[in-house]
Amino acid sequence: MDGYAGNMVYADLAAGKVTIKPTPPELKKQYLGGRGFGIRLLTDAVDPKIDPLSDKNIVVFASGPLTGTGIPLGSRYEVSTLSPLTGTATSANSGGVFGWKMKKAGFDAVVVTGKAKKPVYLLLDNGKAEIRDATHLWGKTTGQTTDAIQSELKDDKVRVSCIGPAGEKLVLFACIINEKTRAAGRGGVGAVMGSKNLKAIAARGDLPIKAADEERLNVVKDRVRKKIEDNGIEKALHNYGTAVLINIINENYVLPTRNFQTAHFANAENVSGETIAKTILKKPKGCYACIVQCGRVHEFDGEYGEGPEYEPDWAFGPDCGIDDLKAVARANNICNEYGLDAISAPATIACLMEMAEKGYVKHQIRFGDAQGMLKLVEQIAKREDIGNELAEGSFRFATKYGHPEYSMSSKKQELPAYDPRGIQGYGLATATSVRGGDHVYGYMISPEVLGAPEKLDPYVTKGKPQWVKTFQDLTASIDAAGMCLFSSFALDAQDYADLLTATTGMKIDAAELLKIGERIWNLQKLYNIKRGLGRKDDTLPARLLNEPLKEGAPAGQVWRRDEMLDEYYTLRGWDKEGTPTQEKLKGLGLV
Amino acid sequence: MGGNGALMNDMQDRITLTVKSFATFREVMDPLIRMDFAKGATVRTLLTEITGRYEGIDELMFAAPGTLRDFVNILKNGRNIHFLAGLDTPLDDGDVIALFPPIAGG
Repeated sequence: MDGYAGNMVYADLAAGKVTIKPTPPELKKQYLGGRGFGIRLLTDAVDPKIDPLSDKNIVVFASGPLTGTGIPLGSRYEVSTLSPLTGTATSANSGGVFGWKMKKAGFDAVVVTGKAKKPVYLLLDNGKAEIRDATHLWGKTTGQTTDAIQSELKDDKVRVSCIGPAGEKLVLFACIINEKTRAAGRGGVGAVMGSKNLKAIAARGDLPIKAADEERLNVVKDRVRKKIEDNGIEKALHNYGTAVLINIINENYVLPTRNFQTAHFANAENVSGETIAKTILKKPKGCYACIVQCGRVHEFDGEYGEGPEYEPDWAFGPDCGIDDLKAVARANNICNEYGLDAISAPATIACLMEMAEKGYVKHQIRFGDAQGMLKLVEQIAKREDIGNELAEGSFRFATKYGHPEYSMSSKKQELPAYDPRGIQGYGLATATSVRGGDHVYGYMISPEVLGAPEKLDPYVTKGKPQWVKTFQDLTASIDAAGMCLFSSFALDAQDYADLLTATTGMKIDAAELLKIGERIWNLQKLYNIKRGLGRKDDTLPARLLNEPLKEGAPAGQVWRRDEMLDEYYTLRGWDKEGTPTQEKLKGLGLV
Repeated sequence: MGGNGALMNDMQDRITLTVKSFATFREVMDPLIRMDFAKGATVRTLLTEITGRYEGIDELMFAAPGTLRDFVNILKNGRNIHFLAGLDTPLDDGDVIALFPPIAGG
C-alpha cells in the first residue's frame, strides 16, 4: 500500500514525549486519511462528555493519500477535534504547502494529546519529531511566528502551521494558519491548540512519497488535469478568485445582507471578484500542485496580503453592510494575522450590528461602519472590551442579551454566504451538517446556483435530500483523500476512485469511495448524538424558516425544512430523530 | 398629432432591458448595457444581438449554434432561464438580464 508517508506521530504534551508508530493499514482502508483519520482517532480517544478546551481533548492533523503526490489540486490537510464552538466532532480543511510538507517530513498524521506546561511547538523533521519551547513565540501573530521558526531553524523551506493571539486567548472561533495566509478556519480548532499551549507545528523534509502504480497514476493524472483545464469553471476561479461568486449570488437574490435581513446588496459590485481583479489584485496564487490558482495576492496603500476569499469578502462586506473593499481586505488580513475564522468573526459582528441597531445591545456600531468593524475584529482577537463577549461566537453572544434569534448560526456555528430561503437543498445541507453551519461539507450551491454538474431548480425541495446525501458523502471522502474540493467542479467519483486506486494500490471504485465518505459522516453524527445533539439541532435560524425573502425572484420564499428532513433521514438509514439504525451502522462496519 | 401618435404606438411596441455581464464575459463585452427590442423578443433574440455586436462572446457563450456552453447561466430578474423557457424565455419591458460564464468558488 502506498501514497502514504507510512508513520504517525503521537505527541503527549503533558509528558513532553513523542511516539512514532506506523500508520495502521485498517485505518487507511476504512478512512483513507485527512478528515477520515482525524474523526476516527478523535471519536475513539475522546469522551464526548468532556469540555472541548480541557486537556482531555485531542487535535489531529492529517493529510490524505493523494496529498503531495503531484496530482493536480492534491494539497490538502485536515485538522480534527472536538469543537469548542459547536460541540461537534469537527474538522477544518486547509491548503497551501503544509499538508505536503507533513508527508515529506515522514508523517501522515500528528495526534496531539494533553496540555503542555508552557508554550511549545512540534517540529517534524525528516522522520523525527521533537517538542520544542515556544515561550518566545507566545503572543506573536501567525506571520511573526512563521518567520521566527524559520529563522531559528535557519531554514526558509520549513513550513509552519500555527495559531495567533486569538487561539492563545481561546476565542471560540480561532483558526489555524499555515504559510501565513492559508486557514484551517472553522470550528475553533485554533482555540484547542491554544488550550494545549501548542503554538505551532513545523514540518520539513525530503522523504519520498511513492505511488503504488506510478505508470497508472500518470495516466489518470493526465486525464484529470485535462478535465480541470478544459472546465470553464476553473478558468473563472483563476481570473477572478472565489469572490467571483459575489455577483452571481447577489443577482440570484440570495446574498445574505445585513445579518440575513435581506438577500441583495445594492453595492455588491464594489466588493466583487471583478473589482478585486481590477483594483487591489497583484497576482493569483495557488497551493501545492495547483493548476487553478484561485488565491489572490493583494497590495494597496502599503498593505500586502492575500484574499479576500468569497466567504470573508461577503461576511465583512454585504453581511456587515460594507462596500469598502480595502476595509474588507484589511479585516481579512487581521484575521490571518491574529488567527480568527474569517466567517464567524464578521458574522458575529453583523449579529452585534443588528442587535445594536435594534437597541438590544448598547453599542455605537451600525451596519456600514467599516472603521468600527475593523476595531471590533482586533477587540475580538484580543478579547478586549465587547470583543471578549463576541469571542464566544454570535449564538452565545445573542443568547446572553436575550435574543438568540439574531445569531445566524446552526449548531452555534455562523452560516456562510448563501441564503437558504432561495436555495432549498443548500439549506438542508447546512442544517444537517455534522459540524454546524457550513457550506463545504456538501456544496449544493454547485448544482442549485452554478449549474454543475447539472442545473437543479433552487426553489424546489423534491429530490434534494438524495443530492445532499451524495454530496455530503462524496465531500467526506474528498476531504479524506487530501484533494481540494474545487477539483469536484471538474471531476466525478470515478476520477477520485481511479486516483486512489493507482496511488494506494487499494481497489477503490466509486461505490466504495462514497461508502468511505458515508462512514465518516455517520461517525461524526454518532459522536454528536452522544454530545446531546439531535433532530432539534438539524435546523436553521427561525428567520430563515419564518420570514419570507422580500426582493427579486425568490421573494415570498422561506426555507422549507419539513419538506426534506424526514426523507433525508430515511435515505441515510436513520430513524425519525436522526439516529443511525443498527442496520446502517453494521453495513458501514461501525458496530 | 398623427406623427406623434405613430411614434407613441411604435414606442408601445418596444421594450427596454438592462443587460449585465460578469467575469470573463466582461473581457469581451460591456458590463452594463441598455437595449431595446420589439415586443415579442426572447432571450435568443437578445443573445443574437449581443453576439453580433461583440466579437468573441459567441465562442465564450455557445458550444454550438443555439446551445449554451455547460455552466453558462442567464438570469431574468434573478431567475435562471433554464427554469423558465430557456432561450425562448420571453423578454418584458424593464427586465434585468444577467449573463454569467462558468463560475465557481466557495
